[in-house]
Amino acid sequence: MAAKIKGRLSFRGGVHPPERKGITCESAIQAGPAVKEVAIMLSQHIGAPCRAVVEKGAEVEAGQKVGDCDAFVCAPVHSPIAGKVKEIGLRSHAVLGRTLAVVISAEAETSPVQPAWELKGDFDASAYSSGQICEAIREGGLVGMGGAGFPTRVKIEPNPQKPNETMIINGCECEPYITCDYRMMLERTNQIVAGVKLAKAASGCSRAIFAIEDNKPAAIEAVSTALRGSNDIEMAVVKTKYPQGGERQLINSVLRKRVPTGGIPPMIGVVVLNVATTAAIADAVVNKRPLTHRVVTVSGEAIARPGNYYVAIGTLAGDLIEFCGGVTRQSAKVIMGGPMMGLAIADLDTPLTKTSGAITVLTKEQIGKAKFKRQQTACIRCGRCLAVCPENLNPTKIAHAVKSNLLELAQSYYLNACMECGCCSYVCPANIELTGYIKTGKIFVARQKKRMPQ
Amino acid sequence: MLKDLSVSFSPHISQALSTRTVMVDVVIGLAPAIAAAGYYFRLRALILISTCVIASVATEWVCNIVRKKACSLGDFSAVVTGIILALSLPPRLPVWTAVIGSVFAIAIGKMVFGGLGSNIFNPAMAGRTFLAVSFGTLMTTWATPATIDGKMPKIAAENMIHARTQATPLAWSKMAIKNQLGADIYGEQNFKWTVTGEVGGCLGETSVIALAIGLGYLLMRRTIAFHIPLAVALSAFVFGTITYWIDSYSYVQPFYHLTSGGLLLCAFFIATDPVTAPLTRRGMWIFGIGVGGLTMLIRVFGGYPEGVMFSVLIMNAVTPLIDRLCKRVPAGGKPSVT
Repeated sequence: MAAKIKGRLSFRGGVHPPERKGITCESAIQAGPAVKEVAIMLSQHIGAPCRAVVEKGAEVEAGQKVGDCDAFVCAPVHSPIAGKVKEIGLRSHAVLGRTLAVVISAEAETSPVQPAWELKGDFDASAYSSGQICEAIREGGLVGMGGAGFPTRVKIEPNPQKPNETMIINGCECEPYITCDYRMMLERTNQIVAGVKLAKAASGCSRAIFAIEDNKPAAIEAVSTALRGSNDIEMAVVKTKYPQGGERQLINSVLRKRVPTGGIPPMIGVVVLNVATTAAIADAVVNKRPLTHRVVTVSGEAIARPGNYYVAIGTLAGDLIEFCGGVTRQSAKVIMGGPMMGLAIADLDTPLTKTSGAITVLTKEQIGKAKFKRQQTACIRCGRCLAVCPENLNPTKIAHAVKSNLLELAQSYYLNACMECGCCSYVCPANIELTGYIKTGKIFVARQKKRMPQ
Repeated sequence: MLKDLSVSFSPHISQALSTRTVMVDVVIGLAPAIAAAGYYFRLRALILISTCVIASVATEWVCNIVRKKACSLGDFSAVVTGIILALSLPPRLPVWTAVIGSVFAIAIGKMVFGGLGSNIFNPAMAGRTFLAVSFGTLMTTWATPATIDGKMPKIAAENMIHARTQATPLAWSKMAIKNQLGADIYGEQNFKWTVTGEVGGCLGETSVIALAIGLGYLLMRRTIAFHIPLAVALSAFVFGTITYWIDSYSYVQPFYHLTSGGLLLCAFFIATDPVTAPLTRRGMWIFGIGVGGLTMLIRVFGGYPEGVMFSVLIMNAVTPLIDRLCKRVPAGGKPSVT
């Protein structure tokens, strides 16, 4: 049994939305839809977008690089299938509107099957040099698969100025409905552990902590068993609370350290990796397989066959929903991600990206009548948003400053410190879209500073 | 089946909670105090409470029509204002006065500012203050609780010792100081009456037990935070203790200050009105200490025996300032670069 960090590991604030993980938590990862056409977004990560490195009409193989860029904060993209480049055109993106994508038509429709993974007996993370691992991660196009999509190489590459000390493996999965990481921890435990060892070796961290929320006893059991004998990885069972899986909150819960406002974890020597990312690291380093597929949870009360599917990145959301039997009831929203932080999409032809861990289809009942009709009433200053804010902000002040177009005032209340977890909007009795106002305010501020096009 | 997709900001789910839930919780929290008022002051209590509620709701309805706004009666905030106003009125107040108070509370105290959420002052306290300065005599004419035997000696100089038959315990102690009789009436019996509520006073303020039950419910439902009630009670108690130490002959016991008068009604239900109280925890402490301290200042040194309504209004007025002073610092500290 690996060493376990004791104590009540939690953070201040947060909410307890209904988990609804029961819909898909027993569903083993299965093959996703066979795709005829995929659209590989050239911007699937934080940082500089890729440029297409293939021409229209070119033949591509499965795993071939189709987009790359020289910037440091960037990750290349690869084709999951063999086929022909149909076009390089605009496709709907949940956040960025319409962005460039490489559209590839398949030669033959083949169902994506998750390749078997075996941890060879002579596996030794120290057999790979740090440079080798970082290069493999960069070439594999790995990004944080938990949602933010920060290029993994940038995170774990040792920086002489800020040496990495601690690595936290994020197996919290605090969003309702989503179970893809949970299934990965159950079914791909060895692959994840191998990835953790590789990442630890490459980053130069002296500590590695595997953090799982206490509502996933099976995953805790599986990971603890797999960690038996490896004394260099500790286990931390954290309290179930949203947003426990947010890296700032997780670092606070596990290490009692705070990431500076406006900063990132490497500034205090911490690296946080999602479990799906560590599995991808193992695959990229050991088998030289780039990140072209991922496990996606398709869930929601209305989905005919909810479950966890191994899907080619670039598959269209609509195709995946259809593959799951479509919906049985009138549904109101299709969300890329979970209901707390996911993005509602209007176009079912939106392709999945490396960071899309889930597609959640919500009905009106789940959304709630007032929320669905967007009936907002006046703020009664009850202070619930302040109580739940994990970043200790004053959401109502910020939101109302943005509403009145007082960006200076909003910034004086630390507008940009918000991480958009949505807790404030979730608890607001007046149904005010606090997070929405704050997001809007952030965009306005970025435009003012000319960091974003109009 | 997948058509007419709606797109909006995340989060896409929300807690089943509305402004109405919050207000109904406050009404439930006030229910024990209403029951105690009904028990001690019988029909008078019920008439006054229903008058204030009906007048408040009607005023809000009329104001919405005048302002050409959607009907806002569904949030129940007018009901809460009406009940709190009624509970802070003396039992023998004529009905027409209560109506004037309710109309002022809603129309001037709340609606002219823009309705719920925009008002600066606690509407009920605005209404009560209006009545107190306009109808001074009516607002200080008290009735003994109906449970007290009518044959007991009435207010008179020679009966000074018997607090129960007096106007209100606080008015009595004030008079005792004036007549140099010694203010310490803190006997076990007197204390018991002020806790159960079998003394003269405003409708809802007499029974500490009923108020405490209501507070427990609100805290359990997390409708209010404990900071303001605790800060008000604590600061008043500390203030009372200091004055009692200085001169125990002319100042009453701190416990007596806590249990008598409107202090606890204010601490539990009036000062905690979210709209007019600060947002941050630190601000709530300052606000509560201000309310408790000012109340005691008025009680001990002022001309009025009771000072809750003025102290609440004064602190309401400085709430925006408190909010500005007590800014929250982000969890990660102040950003080094903006």
